[in-house]
Amino acid sequence: MPAFQPNKVQLLCDLTFEGAWPTTVAFLGSSRRLAAGNRDGQLFIWELPDKQTKEPPPPVRFLQGHTNGITRLRATRDGKTLVSSSLDRSVRLWDTTAPTTGSTEVVLDMKTREQEARRQRKPEIVTKPGVKVATQTAAHVFQVHQNWVQALDLSGDEKRLITGDDNGMTIVWDLASRKEIARWTGYPGNWITSAALTSDGQTAFVAEFCSRRGDFDRPPAQARIYDASTGKEKLDILKVQFPNVKKRDNSYGYATTWGKFVARGFVAADFSPDDNILAVGQGGETGTGKVHLLDSRTGKLIRSVSGHQYGVTDVQFSADGQFVLSAGRDTSIRICRVSDGKEIAKLGKERGGQFKDWFHAVDVSPDQQCVAAADIAGQVRVWRLG
Amino acid sequence: MKKFCTPIEHVSRRAFLKGTFGTVTGGLLMNWGGLWHAAENVKNERKHCILLWMNGGVSQFETFDMKPGRPTGGLFRPIQTNVTGIQICELMPNIARQMDKLAVIRSMHTSQIDHPGGIHLMHTGYAATANIRYPEIGAIMAKYLGKEESDLPDFIKISSQGNSGAGYLGPKYQPFNLDHSGNLPPFSLSRLDPQDELRRHELRQFVEGEFAKKHKVETARMHQEAYEGVRRLQRAKAVFDIEDEWEKYRDRYGDSKFGKRCLLARRLIESGVAFVEVGQSSYDTHADNFTGHKGLLPPMEQAWAALLVDLEERGLLQSTLVVWMGEIGRTPRINNRSGRDHYVRAWSTALAGAGIKGGQVYGATDKDGIDVKDNPVTEGDFFATIYKAVGINPKKEHYQGIRPIPIAPFGSKVVDELLRS
Repeated sequence: MPAFQPNKVQLLCDLTFEGAWPTTVAFLGSSRRLAAGNRDGQLFIWELPDKQTKEPPPPVRFLQGHTNGITRLRATRDGKTLVSSSLDRSVRLWDTTAPTTGSTEVVLDMKTREQEARRQRKPEIVTKPGVKVATQTAAHVFQVHQNWVQALDLSGDEKRLITGDDNGMTIVWDLASRKEIARWTGYPGNWITSAALTSDGQTAFVAEFCSRRGDFDRPPAQARIYDASTGKEKLDILKVQFPNVKKRDNSYGYATTWGKFVARGFVAADFSPDDNILAVGQGGETGTGKVHLLDSRTGKLIRSVSGHQYGVTDVQFSADGQFVLSAGRDTSIRICRVSDGKEIAKLGKERGGQFKDWFHAVDVSPDQQCVAAADIAGQVRVWRLG
Repeated sequence: MKKFCTPIEHVSRRAFLKGTFGTVTGGLLMNWGGLWHAAENVKNERKHCILLWMNGGVSQFETFDMKPGRPTGGLFRPIQTNVTGIQICELMPNIARQMDKLAVIRSMHTSQIDHPGGIHLMHTGYAATANIRYPEIGAIMAKYLGKEESDLPDFIKISSQGNSGAGYLGPKYQPFNLDHSGNLPPFSLSRLDPQDELRRHELRQFVEGEFAKKHKVETARMHQEAYEGVRRLQRAKAVFDIEDEWEKYRDRYGDSKFGKRCLLARRLIESGVAFVEVGQSSYDTHADNFTGHKGLLPPMEQAWAALLVDLEERGLLQSTLVVWMGEIGRTPRINNRSGRDHYVRAWSTALAGAGIKGGQVYGATDKDGIDVKDNPVTEGDFFATIYKAVGINPKKEHYQGIRPIPIAPFGSKVVDELLRS
């Protein structure tokens, strides 16, 4: 596999995905195929161009089924299997090579059309036909969660899946049989905001949070490592960080002692390929969202890297584990070297007023050649490395 | 030992001086109404009101005026209520089951878009002005619905935010404020031995009496009455301690501070208090509106629904108006912080209980919730309707000098469709 080379970066294309915010993105097997979902539950697949282009290609597939925002996407390395989690409480499994089931017309540039129609004073621009896209349905629907599913990850060996919902329920699944292996719940009322599995799928990280803002006598944040086969707790990371804080501390305690570490919850997490380091991103709207690199065996903080003004939205290690990429609420992807925490590259440019537009998610292609970001302005940005 | 004295136990107690009192140190003044009377009497006598105050401005799109499938609709989905044809946000399943008790107004159209102005407006019915201090709704209700010579104040706020107080009605009707957990303020609790307290009281009475003989000033009288009020509160303070009931009602009201506040509100109403305001903060969701409401609404709506059921089971709902509102609504547009900003062109409130015809939605907004489409309700109309529901004439005038000021602003219209005939 070619090395991950963040030093030289070139924007390959901006895929048009206007309408509801694009929220998540995943490469499928190579740097030539990519899936992205949005806040309306729309999920498309694109074939990416070889060369830099200003004329973005239309999507080639419309994966139909979700009825509310898509929160996370994970794909197997061969790109054949894609998993999506959603605010519609379902998790869907897609065979991206399956025959299509039909076609439909979609308009993904409505915002641009409306602007053009106003500029040219030609309202008919808005009603021009869209593009025909082949459709397909999910190979399987996991319809067990009873609330928003915000956390999703696939183990490195691609055998296990972990999902977490806003009822505090975490479930570990066997991907082949599609059956549950274990399930457990966190504090009542807390949401599972992120989850990650190690490469062998035997260990899970789960983060909890809830925006209760001082109205409860329960801790609004948790960060724990579990045995993924049994749901038994192995390590309480907040306890490691704050050994003197009571286990059932109240939200005031959270605000004063945990706040700087947790911010508005860990909304993204990823284990390094060798499983030794856990990266967690401080999300929600916060001052400067950091990515903490934690020793996954002891829970101790190795270092905090990156720093997205107003918060982190996504975190991912490069395949060689030498770099950690983060997306954030400052319209940027930041690439940091794990060994010393130095920021090597920053993709994107701050955009917006006092508060910036978000890059909602980031993904690195399995061949390490491309990085993609879900941009809330209505596009998926794809950069080529090296 | 029984912690909570039932209201009937206080019936025969001699009434003390009516009126106002201030704290020793700062002139914090509270209102005091009538003798603490029996719960049975509460049911049959004059009306009461509980205001559930959603401070910061709760979103109409995430509560009662959903726009699914529209760009303004947001991330939540509607659910069916127990009234055919009425849908509300999925975050409020308990309230959905009590919809037959609610009258939702989807067509609020008010004038103050910022927090201080909105808080004043939606507590008084009037925009703030430099030369008139308008009384809050709680002060008006304390004046007209309060009982003389009570052991309890008639206008109590629990963790709430009104900024106007009694206004021109004077310190007699000032709110009595409890903290976030419903605790009494420190000044109201004596730490002295009862014998020492009595001796101190007698000495103070003597000194104040001598002073009053020489100085016929209103402030001295108010000060004296304030002390009397605090002393009376000592007898009634058990009602503020909800712990004996909390075990039983925790599951119903929800294990939250807002749930506790609502249970305390019910106890206060049951004990004869005219007006209780219960606040919940943090609705000002310029950022992360959806997770914000997802965190705030479930405990609120569970407690609200429990309050309605509890009041109904005790026969108090027919005499207790429950008002739900914030100071503003939130924008149809979702900003780049995943938030909604301030909006007053079209937003929602809800009423239940005394005088209200439940199971209805009044007014409507357009397809994106940008403007009121049918039956706009101004702040004046809203307050006029509330006052009429509890038997107060909204056109009744008070005077500031020679200037008449109606309880609800001139030109306000009672929305009769919201009221039981």
